[in-house]
Amino acid sequence: MPGSQFEVMSASTFPYYIGLAGIVVSVLILIFSLADKNGDSITLSYLKTLDFKTTSYFVAAMLFYGFTIRSLGFIIATIIFLAIGFVLLKEKNVKRIIFISVGVSVGFYLLLNNVLGVYIDPGMIVEYFVGEES
Amino acid sequence: MMDGILQGVSTALSSYNIMMVIIGCFAGTFIGMLPGLGPISAIALMIPITYGMEPSSGLILIAGVYYGAIFGGSTSSILINAPGVAGTVASSFDGYPLAKSGHAGKALAIAAYSSFTGGTIAAVFLLFAAPALAKVSLSFQSSDYFALMVLGLTAVAAFAGKGKFLKAAIMTIFGLMLATVGTDSDSGLPRFTFGRLDLIDGISFLLLAMAAFALSEAMMNILDNKEQTQKEKDDLNASIGSLKITREEIKEMAPTVGRSSVLGFFVGVLPGAGATIASFLAYGMERSFASAKEKLKFGKGSIKGLAAPESANNAACSGSFVPLLTLGIPGSGTTAIILGALISYGIQPGPTMYVDNPALFWSVIISMYLGNLVLLVLNLPLIPYIARLLTLPKQLLLPLIIFFSLIGVYLVTFNTFDIYMMTIFAVIALFIRIIDFPMAPMILGFILGGMMEDNLRRALTISDGSLSFLWERPITFSILIITVVLLLMPLIGEVYDKMKKGKA
Repeated sequence: MPGSQFEVMSASTFPYYIGLAGIVVSVLILIFSLADKNGDSITLSYLKTLDFKTTSYFVAAMLFYGFTIRSLGFIIATIIFLAIGFVLLKEKNVKRIIFISVGVSVGFYLLLNNVLGVYIDPGMIVEYFVGEES
Repeated sequence: MMDGILQGVSTALSSYNIMMVIIGCFAGTFIGMLPGLGPISAIALMIPITYGMEPSSGLILIAGVYYGAIFGGSTSSILINAPGVAGTVASSFDGYPLAKSGHAGKALAIAAYSSFTGGTIAAVFLLFAAPALAKVSLSFQSSDYFALMVLGLTAVAAFAGKGKFLKAAIMTIFGLMLATVGTDSDSGLPRFTFGRLDLIDGISFLLLAMAAFALSEAMMNILDNKEQTQKEKDDLNASIGSLKITREEIKEMAPTVGRSSVLGFFVGVLPGAGATIASFLAYGMERSFASAKEKLKFGKGSIKGLAAPESANNAACSGSFVPLLTLGIPGSGTTAIILGALISYGIQPGPTMYVDNPALFWSVIISMYLGNLVLLVLNLPLIPYIARLLTLPKQLLLPLIIFFSLIGVYLVTFNTFDIYMMTIFAVIALFIRIIDFPMAPMILGFILGGMMEDNLRRALTISDGSLSFLWERPITFSILIITVVLLLMPLIGEVYDKMKKGKA
């Protein structure tokens, strides 16, 4: 920026020094962890107990939720997201899945719109069936 | 001061605000009980709800959630030996054995009474300490604030525990780095936005807190898929027993509670120390005070061993509000979240808050006390029923927690980019959790980053670009000396240990 050389502290000063501190601490961590050979680092057997598969499906479901919340509207997108979530975590009772996902999304929608006064777009599909609220 | 207190009392005692305390305590107890979810997540989940409220009501709700979450954490420590938060780990040492021997109700009652007493004593201290400190801090200048923030961030790393100093330090720096994303407040230049308009305003604190705590804690539960063991289920279904405490027991634990509360308060005031350290210190102190015969009881269901950490951690929670309310500098992850909430209500805590907004200042202190009362009077009798919620199946609970975290942030901006960003941050946070780096220093660094830069810039401008203010102002200089000492202590300790190991 013109004239910034006269400023005491420009926009890049603070990030620059934080970056420097980050480098110093990172190097220290590296040195200490290399010196400490028999330290208690995470083990492969611990990593093997972790359920990466379900978790990555969940991450995908969250991204999908972000993708659909506008196009499908809040209610439908939430029902789908919650149902996927329950199924991913191996809930077997279909009635329960439908009841909770529909109940939570419709209930939360009504609560927001009517009690808390926050308007969310219910989505084109819902509007088509219920009719646009005025 | 009297005017302020009276205003605060009338604000805190309005029927709406009392309702907020009660709702907050219940919600907090419930969330705090869930394994893995601590006060930070509980508060983060509540913040979107408070956006439509008056700042005082919002803050009162949050204070209720804070205490409720700590109490909920104690409950799960005592009943199923699964502390929801680090601050209640020490409570499980004697609380769980006590519950196993059929005195679960008694253990819960002891926890509630000691928490209440701890909270009460700390509230009285707060009543005197906060205004006094606020008056002193009115004479603080930007350079002093800058030094104080450096001290706060260093203290968090220094108190992180053995071998964790560098890990906490790098997380703090990571938080500071994230804070620089967005438009620079002085020059108006965009920084690290990758040309995206979504990042022009920087990363929202709520988004980061929610992703780093609530979301990633829920996802950690999915990743580390442990079924509730049969033993835990049995523990939950076992009858809780009588909630009564005898007069002898009260007499036995009274001195313990008194000592631990005072200790807890002062540890809480220290930046970076907080409830966890306070509860362990109090537990250790009581054990060393106990007679040889009593010492044997510790770890096997000693009443004192439960009362000490419980009163200390609650007192520390109140203590941690002192630097937040008077200096505007949070000393812990939880108070950092509360500071973030305050800023988003448009309130800058600090000495000026005490002067400009006395009703808010005092109503927070008074409602914190009310929160303690609600926990004792309403939550304790209901705890057998609330504890049943712990039997709710995880597969239903976790998707709901994730949904509420995502939607809580989305509802503020209505920007789908936020959902993507949260998901990405949650994945990063998950990775950081797996490699066992602490999360709280990051959020603290993030919250303090902007303020630190502003204060440094102001101090530099005042001193005409020279760094001389660092040693010319006595307050700044002494704070910095303390910082350096804190910084060097764990490093020297670590090097010393390594050398000893190397020789052996």
